[in-house]
Amino acid sequence: MRLWDLARTANRNLLRAKLRTFLTVMAIFVGAFTLCMTNGIGDGLRNYVELQVKTFEGDRILFVRKKFPQEMEEQINNTGPVEYKETSVDERGNEIDPNSVMVSLEQIKGLESDLPEVRSITPAFRMSAEYITVGGGKKYTVGLGMLSEGLVQKLEVGEMFDGSNQIILPIHLARAFDENVQNLVGQDATIAYRAGQERDLKTRDLKVVGVATKGMISNTNAFVDADTARSIYDEQNAESPNYNNFQNFTVQLERADDELVGSTKEKLEEKGFVAMGIEDIEKRTYDAIGILQVGLNLFALVALLAASFGIINTLVIAVMERTKEIGLQKALGMGRFRVFLLFALESVLIGFWGAMLGIVSAVGVGTAANAFLSSTYLESFEGFSLFAFKPLALGVVLLLVCVIAFLAGVMPAIRASRLNPIEALRYE
Amino acid sequence: MLETQGLCRTFTSDAIDYEVLKGIEITIKKGESVAIVGKSGSGKSTLMHLLACLDEPTSGSVSFEGRDYSRMSEKQRDRLRNEKFGFVFQQFFLNGRETVYENVVLPMRIRGASEKDLKPRALEALESVGLGDKSEKRAKDLSGGEKQRVCIARAIVGDPDVVFADEPTGNLDSKTSRTIEDLLLDLNRENGITVVIVTHDEDLARKCGRTIDLKDGRVRGVEPVPAELFAGREQ
Repeated sequence: MRLWDLARTANRNLLRAKLRTFLTVMAIFVGAFTLCMTNGIGDGLRNYVELQVKTFEGDRILFVRKKFPQEMEEQINNTGPVEYKETSVDERGNEIDPNSVMVSLEQIKGLESDLPEVRSITPAFRMSAEYITVGGGKKYTVGLGMLSEGLVQKLEVGEMFDGSNQIILPIHLARAFDENVQNLVGQDATIAYRAGQERDLKTRDLKVVGVATKGMISNTNAFVDADTARSIYDEQNAESPNYNNFQNFTVQLERADDELVGSTKEKLEEKGFVAMGIEDIEKRTYDAIGILQVGLNLFALVALLAASFGIINTLVIAVMERTKEIGLQKALGMGRFRVFLLFALESVLIGFWGAMLGIVSAVGVGTAANAFLSSTYLESFEGFSLFAFKPLALGVVLLLVCVIAFLAGVMPAIRASRLNPIEALRYE
Repeated sequence: MLETQGLCRTFTSDAIDYEVLKGIEITIKKGESVAIVGKSGSGKSTLMHLLACLDEPTSGSVSFEGRDYSRMSEKQRDRLRNEKFGFVFQQFFLNGRETVYENVVLPMRIRGASEKDLKPRALEALESVGLGDKSEKRAKDLSGGEKQRVCIARAIVGDPDVVFADEPTGNLDSKTSRTIEDLLLDLNRENGITVVIVTHDEDLARKCGRTIDLKDGRVRGVEPVPAELFAGREQ
């Protein structure tokens, strides 16, 4: 029998017991629908995170921190007690406290000569601002961040820094100053911050060079260039006991080639640091989402597994009902394999229609839910669609369900193929 | 054409052996019409199943055109049944929900024939059993006699050498039975198809060229005995 004839026959056979087929398809439908939805949530989250994280770039930049004491001891879980270690001195005579996560400025500067092809190392200068205003208008509170040289923030308007005393505003804040954010570029913004022992309020005028695209950090923070950050940091922290000790710093390399990035990471590792590129940080976030997605998908797969028993049941009954028919087909010369294929195809068809229904419904329901949620509960998460459906992912669901259905059909199909024609024809 | 040697078939049920056929030696020549008769339980259906390559003997052999079934692969046996044999059963075994046409073309579909080859052959087969106008009817809507005619059409659509009929008139009234008998024997007379009919209907048996009478698993008599059969044995 030709494959096309077999497929047609399989389809007709399914239509013979419409209700039974429908119910089995519904079970598969529920599983496929759930799988599309759970997978859609994972992809939705990933899209959103991508939108948030991908707002700044810098493939020559490494973010570096000192290893935690736990990591130094290579403890797998960091819940155990950590032994106190005496301070030591590095080759340049800098005192190093292995119990602290802070790195001194001297130590950081010292690294520059140890690492080849480093253009600059910038400590993470922490600052805090009281308010910001443009043109003497309303004052707003603001977080201050620094973008070290080599990091490029995605901008709505304007350019990255080209000197010092410059600032990039977050879009919400910029809109508060002027609906047409383009007008702000080139204007002076005044920021006020506390400095010195007396915590006096000081102000400083910074030129607005750009307005940042929304993202996880750039939603609330304004960014200043490294030089400006350095001088504000100095004013704010000169009296602090932790002055010139930093938790993080960034390393800017001469080039962005993988080999140099890799070898620099290794060198830093040897010296007791952890260095990550932007890609590494993104990957960690994606991995977390990936695990969540797999977890959710497992639930859907359980539903599919349950549904596959429905297929087995349906086909076992079909084989019994059609014993005589199978007997006749075999008597008329239909081979074992063709009989097997006929039932396997019926099984796959049940899976196929269930999956198609599930996919179409999931896309429909997901799209409607996105529209509803983004206008209600998720209104503040601009650009976030809870469900994202990628054609490839949907294709994989379709294929996977068909494979599961096929596997479910194997047992009944083998039973059918092994029927003895004479006994089958005599079957009552 | 069809030949058996020392054909035995034993069925085992609940550890008890039932010897249904005990050494059958028969030869059926091309173009013959043969009735296998005997009381129920005499083994006539079993003999037909063995001749038609639907069953395997416990011992002894069956061959078609000199080819021993036991030396053939399963695929070859499937092909043999599909291409050389046609089957007519007492209970019809039609798919009631399908059209008459679909029922008739089943052997051709199993053979893997293309759609354009199917149509003329199916219509020709239906024409020859007088159902040329019923091809689009559902099989379940036909009368018993018509159903059996569809079965005959299905048996001949693949242009077989032998048609095996297992109690073809067993479920029909006597008037319809005559029609079916005539159709089967016409196949033999006009198309030269070898016909092997299992029956306990004496009228039908008498119309056949030869009767093989089974009793308790052995051939009791062959009438009329063709002279050449004995000539073959003596060699």
